Amino acid sequence: MTELSWQKPKHPKKKRSERLKFISAGLLILVAVLYLLISGTLQGARYFITVGELLDEASYLGRTVRISGAVDGESIEYDSEKAIIRFEIVNISNEYEDLATALHEALLDSNAPRLKIVVEDAAIPDLLQHEAQAILTGALGQDGVFAATELLLKCPSRFEESTAPEGLSRIPEHQ
Amino acid sequence: MLAEIGLASLTLAFALAVYAIAATACGARRSSAGLVLSGRNAALLTFPAALLATSALVGALMTEQYQFAYVYSVTDPQTPALYRFTALWGSQKGSLLLWSLLMSAFTSAAIGLNWRAERRLMPYAIAFMMATLAFFLGLSLFVENPFERWWILPDAPPAEQVVSTALIPPGAIAPTEANLRAGAEGLNPLLRHFGMVIHPPMLYLGFVGFTIPFAFAMSALASGDLSTGWIKATRRWSLIAWICLSIGLILGGRWAYDVLGWGGYWGWDPVENAAFLPWLVGTAFIHSVMIQEKRGMLKLWNMALVIASFSAVMFGAFATRSGVIESVHSFARSEVGFPMLAFWAALTLVALAMLLWRWRQGELRDERQFANLLSRESLFVLNNVVFIALFLAIFWGSFGLPITSELLLGKEVTVGAATFEFYVVPLFIAMYVLMGVAPLSAWGATSLRRLGAALKLPLGLTIASIAAIALSGTGIAVALFGYGVVVFAAYVALIEIYRGAAARRRALGEGWLRAVSALFRRNQRRYGGYIVHLGVTVIGIGVIASTVFQTETQHTLARGEAIAVQDYALRYDDFIRAQAVDGRMMNIAAVTVFRAGGEIARLRPRIDDYPQLPMKIAGAHSTLENDFYVLLMSGDRERATFRIYINPLVNLVWWGGILLVIGTVIAAYPKVAPASAGPKSEAEAT
Repeated sequence: MTELSWQKPKHPKKKRSERLKFISAGLLILVAVLYLLISGTLQGARYFITVGELLDEASYLGRTVRISGAVDGESIEYDSEKAIIRFEIVNISNEYEDLATALHEALLDSNAPRLKIVVEDAAIPDLLQHEAQAILTGALGQDGVFAATELLLKCPSRFEESTAPEGLSRIPEHQ
Repeated sequence: MLAEIGLASLTLAFALAVYAIAATACGARRSSAGLVLSGRNAALLTFPAALLATSALVGALMTEQYQFAYVYSVTDPQTPALYRFTALWGSQKGSLLLWSLLMSAFTSAAIGLNWRAERRLMPYAIAFMMATLAFFLGLSLFVENPFERWWILPDAPPAEQVVSTALIPPGAIAPTEANLRAGAEGLNPLLRHFGMVIHPPMLYLGFVGFTIPFAFAMSALASGDLSTGWIKATRRWSLIAWICLSIGLILGGRWAYDVLGWGGYWGWDPVENAAFLPWLVGTAFIHSVMIQEKRGMLKLWNMALVIASFSAVMFGAFATRSGVIESVHSFARSEVGFPMLAFWAALTLVALAMLLWRWRQGELRDERQFANLLSRESLFVLNNVVFIALFLAIFWGSFGLPITSELLLGKEVTVGAATFEFYVVPLFIAMYVLMGVAPLSAWGATSLRRLGAALKLPLGLTIASIAAIALSGTGIAVALFGYGVVVFAAYVALIEIYRGAAARRRALGEGWLRAVSALFRRNQRRYGGYIVHLGVTVIGIGVIASTVFQTETQHTLARGEAIAVQDYALRYDDFIRAQAVDGRMMNIAAVTVFRAGGEIARLRPRIDDYPQLPMKIAGAHSTLENDFYVLLMSGDRERATFRIYINPLVNLVWWGGILLVIGTVIAAYPKVAPASAGPKSEAEAT
């Protein structure tokens, strides 16, 4: 008797147990993905700051951060035998309308904060040019030099679509 | 004249698209066949109009009309004809026009192919396709007009004398031809590579391609025709979009490898990631759509994936083109950012609202419930979860974290390549495991015992392969594990093809070649899919080997001196300065590569001096085993410095890409006439 009364709801119970399996598997995956995202972010997250902010705040000393600045072309040195790149970047503000203008003006400003950069064991990138924007990951050392482990570059002024080139304004001679 | 033709046809295309939206939407609402037909015809006419506009710009590029501000900014008198043509997508304005042209072509093709079969869906589908097209044409017309020309306003103050406008300002005069030719800027040297010739149009085709499934899905939601019609209409379009995006991504990797000179092909740059995101959602969709077709399940999910893939495309376009994301790839900061963001947000919100509306009405209920955790549909869902997790992780690292931290902390927080690798490696492992296990399970239900029995052979072969690789001297456990996971998926694909062909041989006595070819013809999607899987496993092996075992050294050599690098030797022979036909100076190092005492290659790594920047062009000796990749860092006749990379199995990344393309073509190719009728083999039946 007892057995019969237990057999009847057998199908829904099986369904329920399957649903439980799906929910458990789903939760397990969710937890695993969240763990992956959170632990990866905690390990790898870096403040993306300006040169000025890096130099102004002592707590950044020795901490791995990501910075951005305008490359001063005259300061670029490459020791090809030791594969060491040295150059200087100048502070660019976080708020700008046009990156090319911001980079150009930053390098004209003699009072803008400057930072010496060293990148070891690196091939010198083609885009490391005057007025390029450098995005660097690394840490500021006690010697005031920023040792970068990652270097990304962007040269907006060189490839931006033209805005009123001066050479064109010369009035044609026959006019 | 070309400017006037271009401008007029661009305006006409825009007007036609706007009219088509109104006519098809009103026609559908009022059940007016005439209005719908008129809207359809207007939609079809957008293609010739966009083609004429694009031809006008190409004409201006090819005939060196530097008064066009666009031609002036992307070419110069030295630019060769091929790059003059490809300059069409060398910058923002031209590439937006190309996007519109491709969009109108896809729309015309979709109308041509689906008009008869999907009459109920077509009006709204056309309206949604035209809405996207009108948006891009509008951007070209009002924000980034490629037909603007330089004009001089003699009466204006000196700083405002030169302007670029689409319409001729009153009293304006044209700059002299000599001034224009002298000032023309030339194509970004980074874009002068065969990968860049095809990579951007392929990506655009992929991006544009996802608009078609989106439009049909929206049409299904708007019209209430939520049967499998929209799935049937869009299945092939999804594959076409997916294959174009895949080719675009692979060629982008190849371009980075050849041109950027860092020995790698993927840098987790936000713009690379923006193109990868729709690919991930699209991959999830082309798997889960099979479950809706075969089992009538995941209706809501599939709709959400189509919306997400289009939304990811639009977000990617915004991220790439607005300049708001810091990236080596991005276009100059431009005014398209806000309109793109607004369009992306509006379309995504409208789509989600419509989805929610239909779902609440109970119109997206599944016909079956998931019965078993190990069934093929469950494993497909798991596969979807992995792709979506990859999507979320990459989106979070590229955009979510920087934006959220800026909003909450007032400081931008970002992650680098190492973090992306941390996120994605476990997820890719899961993807390969599922790629291996899912094809072995059955629809509906599979017992653990049955699945275990099916796994024995591929697992046995995998273990044997790992042992063989370990014995050959590869001792790094991470690499061995990676190879194991990847080759397991490859063995499953091969065994499935073998089983299918063997079943035909047994039943029909066919030869192997005939059996395999009939198998592929009878079930193109399934077996084409296995070829795609094989391609992905070949890419996986290439990625593992070239990441784990890449070596990178730098050496300065005197002329005639040689250096040993692993079992290779490189000798610096000579330094040559030469001028290319386009006027650039090339600094070329002649080097000879030796192996086991014998000469194997003479390479010419060089530095090209372009006016904008110098460019290092690598010399590479490529074999299936590895790439011996040499960059000239600096040098003169006496001494030169070289950076040498040895990239093991890197060419498998490209070969795997080719396999992936072949597999997708097989899967998406229009159904050929059925092969000789035979019994449904065991493999085909599953």
